[in-house]
Amino acid sequence: MPDETPREGMDRRRFLTVLGVTGAGAAVVSGCSTDRVEKLVPYLVQSEDQVPGVATWYASTCTECAAGCGLHVRTREGRAVKLEGNPDHPVNGGRLCSAGQSALQGLYNPGRLTGPMARQPDGSFKTVSWDEAIATLASRVATADGKLAVLNGQGRGSFTDLLAAWTLALAGRHVRYQPFSYEPLRLANRQVFGTAEIPQYDFARARYLVSFGADFLDGGWLSPVEHQRGFAQAHGYHDGVMAKHVMFAPRMSLTGMNADEWLAPRPGSEAVIALAMAQVLLTERSGNPADANGLRGMLAAYTPERAQEASGIGAEVIRRIAREFASARPSLAVAGGVASQHRGAVTVAAAVNLLNYIAGNVGETVRFGADLDTGDGYGATLDWLGLIDRGGVELALVHEANPAYSLPQATGFAAKFQKARFKVSTSLYLDETARLCDLLLPNHHPLERWDDARPRRGVTGLMQPVMEPVFQTMATGDLLLRVSQKAGGKLAHFAAPSWETYLKQQWLQVVGTDEAWRAALARGGVYQAAPVAPVRLAAGAQQLAVAAPAFDGGDGPGRFFFAAVPSVLGDGRFANRPWLQELSDPVTKITWHSWVEIHPEVAARLDVQEGEILRVTSPHGSMEAPAYIYAGLHPDVVAVPLGQGHTSYGDYATGRGANALDLLDGQGGQGFLPYFATTVTLTKTRQWKQVAKTEGTPRQLGRGIADAMTLAQAKERLTPALAAQAEGHEEHEVNTEREVEAIKGFRDSQLSKRRHGDYVAEHPGWGMTIDLARCTGCSACVTACYAENNIPWVGEEAILRGREMTWMRIERYWEGGEDGEPLEARFVPMLCQHCDNAPCEPVCPVYAAYHTPDGLNGQVYNRCVGTRYCANNCPYKVRYFNWSAYARQAFVAPLDLQLNPDVTVRARGVMEKCTFCIQRIRGAQNTARLEDRPLRDGEVVTACAQACPSEAIVFGDLRDGASRVSRIASDHRGYHVLGDLNVRPAVTYLAKVQHRVEA
Amino acid sequence: MRKLALFGSGSLALLVGAMALAQRDTRAQQAPAPAPPVWMLSPRDSSGLRGPRQPVFFRHDIHAGLNKIPCQYCHYSVAESSEPGLPTTQACMGCHLVIGGTDSSHKAEIKKLREASAQKQPIQWVRVHTLARHAHFPHMRHIKALGPNACQTCHGDVARMAQVFKVNNVNNMGFCITCHLQRKVTRDCSVCHY
Repeated sequence: MPDETPREGMDRRRFLTVLGVTGAGAAVVSGCSTDRVEKLVPYLVQSEDQVPGVATWYASTCTECAAGCGLHVRTREGRAVKLEGNPDHPVNGGRLCSAGQSALQGLYNPGRLTGPMARQPDGSFKTVSWDEAIATLASRVATADGKLAVLNGQGRGSFTDLLAAWTLALAGRHVRYQPFSYEPLRLANRQVFGTAEIPQYDFARARYLVSFGADFLDGGWLSPVEHQRGFAQAHGYHDGVMAKHVMFAPRMSLTGMNADEWLAPRPGSEAVIALAMAQVLLTERSGNPADANGLRGMLAAYTPERAQEASGIGAEVIRRIAREFASARPSLAVAGGVASQHRGAVTVAAAVNLLNYIAGNVGETVRFGADLDTGDGYGATLDWLGLIDRGGVELALVHEANPAYSLPQATGFAAKFQKARFKVSTSLYLDETARLCDLLLPNHHPLERWDDARPRRGVTGLMQPVMEPVFQTMATGDLLLRVSQKAGGKLAHFAAPSWETYLKQQWLQVVGTDEAWRAALARGGVYQAAPVAPVRLAAGAQQLAVAAPAFDGGDGPGRFFFAAVPSVLGDGRFANRPWLQELSDPVTKITWHSWVEIHPEVAARLDVQEGEILRVTSPHGSMEAPAYIYAGLHPDVVAVPLGQGHTSYGDYATGRGANALDLLDGQGGQGFLPYFATTVTLTKTRQWKQVAKTEGTPRQLGRGIADAMTLAQAKERLTPALAAQAEGHEEHEVNTEREVEAIKGFRDSQLSKRRHGDYVAEHPGWGMTIDLARCTGCSACVTACYAENNIPWVGEEAILRGREMTWMRIERYWEGGEDGEPLEARFVPMLCQHCDNAPCEPVCPVYAAYHTPDGLNGQVYNRCVGTRYCANNCPYKVRYFNWSAYARQAFVAPLDLQLNPDVTVRARGVMEKCTFCIQRIRGAQNTARLEDRPLRDGEVVTACAQACPSEAIVFGDLRDGASRVSRIASDHRGYHVLGDLNVRPAVTYLAKVQHRVEA
Repeated sequence: MRKLALFGSGSLALLVGAMALAQRDTRAQQAPAPAPPVWMLSPRDSSGLRGPRQPVFFRHDIHAGLNKIPCQYCHYSVAESSEPGLPTTQACMGCHLVIGGTDSSHKAEIKKLREASAQKQPIQWVRVHTLARHAHFPHMRHIKALGPNACQTCHGDVARMAQVFKVNNVNNMGFCITCHLQRKVTRDCSVCHY
């Protein structure tokens, strides 16, 4: 191609000069130039609670799972930009998990329905007006008397009360559905204690924890943030004390990775182990509850030896753990995880109930009375589907549920649901269920509407609209009222003028006055201590019959137990959120797709390498996914994460990975969906897919990144270096004397550069501590960082090239796992270390990377020309380069409404990294200056520290010796990652503390 | 070759842009503002005024100059926020419900405001001072340090402007740094760039 453009007088040097004049290259139009005409559009009427440039906070309630955490929603200029926990809330105490924070990407999801739609005769959907849609529904309601079926995924609350009453008025069937509904716990509690309620588990007080397959840290068990807070309190080391955590589960989940001992019993044998432990307690310990002695006869048969026979775990190990459990008071045993929900799950939970009862934990760490709302259960949902299947249902309404995805194919949902004459969905998205419906009436997002939630007794959370609706949606409460007014007849008494008025009336009946209502709104709800209902052993406790649970497909050579495990995508409802798709799975570090975990022995036997696509076939279906070789499995088990394989759920979820539910049996004869009840065969397909994982080397290779010490060493107040020496590792002198001298000179010259850009006042020296004894690797900090700092997700392709932009990432290293050594996981949250002696700074030719007077490693985007020298020179790999215009693809409308206006959206060709949330530092400094006072300790909280449910991260001024961060940084467990390099990081890690198993 | 061509054309565009910028800057420097009693001007004579034409010929010289309305009456959040705040249509109507203007040209402009208010349409002002998005300017810190009437330090004597124009290129970092050097306050990059 000929060069048609005249190039006279434009050599490279001149080009750069021009660049220098106009600012950063491509930014001529959008960046520095003021040629573009921008409009300033004022408000029409002064808003009472909005000041431009100042955040307004609203209290709300998270509805992403059944736990019902409290929210504080940060809004700027009328749009929600960040979700944080509500510190007043009894469930989450100011903390929030990744899924909860990602609700914003549900709100601004490009896949949302923009308004009501009706199915046309040709099967397509056409946008209609709300008036038309309401008229259509009202006419259908008129003929639906006694022939109405409603499936409601929303938890208990005023809306559910309204919907139930509305359904009742039409003599319809109303069922509340949650995919994860923990029925085995309820059934076991009914059997052993005579109550079908779910108790509150107080992890914080427990001195010894045993989990029988309950993944209480994975987000797949009851109230994840609350449990993690409690766990960190109990299991986090402080003053020589630390609870021990033992997990029995066929797969090492995130909870197992946080256990001091993870033991993989043969699938289905957990109940025998729990009973054997109970038997040891009963025979060897005095002071057990008196009525527990009645269990002696039943338990006599369950010896540790019998447990060994059933589970493959040594009798002496079980006996030791039982004795340790017995000596710690109070202790806590938990069961009922989705990942190990086999057909004997009720027995496991019942056995654990007995264990807790004998240990005296019931009433202490296991408190009945609050209950947790998890819907009506799987059985009720199947009954509901059966009702439609039998015919005669005129109108089916599905609200905030996606059973077409979350029920296994084997239930035949799609075919049965089609038998309803007219089907209506209120889903916000065109999900699998909505696609089967005739009328789509998208609800407001929880952040756009009035609502409330009663996740458990004593906690009532309020939701208020924090912003104008993004699309032409309507709160389903309003929809029901308007349809009622239109249809009249039996619905005429639903006469409230609006859903908001209805909700407020309900509240005024409880709280009484307008002031109390407003106070509740400001606090995010009404919180009281949960009532405590003492329980005794019921007659059913004696009739515990333990039998090996059946697995479809049977046990045999070449067959593997198939575990469908909860992932960061929950039950699949989070799959349309790019933050969570890109969030690496805490265990495997895989993003964006499904995988099949197989044990290394099996991989060797079948000659399978990582990334080989395996076909997994069960008696009920099959799926294909690339293999991931994982030592944290029982060798007879393969595991697949739940949540992927959507066929209709927006661009981010559709056609991604495979749905593990396809392999499951849909029969709920026992009242729950057995997620772990089939065996499968593995077939090699000879096809490959590179696994999109964010990990580098999975082992530390002696680099001293994630340090740990034993509890005994911690009690002796050893430093990590001394602890390593005590373990027989020698300390290496990495630098010669001359090198040390050179480094010192370099450091001095680096620090002297701080006089550039000096402040008038004394400077703080910002620093951070991360306590690895508390960190569980949950990754809430990662999502918080994405939300706060406008970090673009990059997608699977870019991840494969190692181009993820995770300013804050969780590194996971494996220890042991070979030659019979137990497998052990260590987590290190890794972010820019803001080194005093930063290697990235002197190599930057344009001074874009430099040291600020307040101890930050600054990165000036408008100076950066993208040489990437800094990233090459960074030993921590925490600098991320914008290889492509990631922001343009990541923040497509309306996701761009989430962008934090205080943080620059970085352009292509710019290096970026953690800033220690400098916008929060400057914001706090501005506030302090306006109030003529110095900054207070704890006033600046980075997004990661704010979100962390374990409270592992502390941020503050290291130059203030009295600050919390200074005190923690001087702890004997403190160390710097790669400290030998003498880069002087501002981030101090506190070594993990472990209960070492005494042989 | 395609790459080279792109490079060439791209650089040309850059060059033109740069020259335009440079020219405009010199023009701004060469034309010292004469100071006639500008509020005597009628909009018919406004063609010679500097600065962008606004949808409503709002007279800062009348409001802030003649009537001595403090800047912060309308730019209400400047002392507490990084954003100065724009008066809402309601705020304008607070006075102009009663004040209809003295001569026909004034009346015509106020009528525009009243119609916009009646139709609940905000007036879309043309932005005069735009800061690059990679720089953060906390207005409140500057008001705190320099006093409530310090606006003219950067914006010029708006109280004498019939139509607001850019006196200083606030988007030029040198402009900021000069002042920061004189006053011996921070010139650390990360104070503004993050």
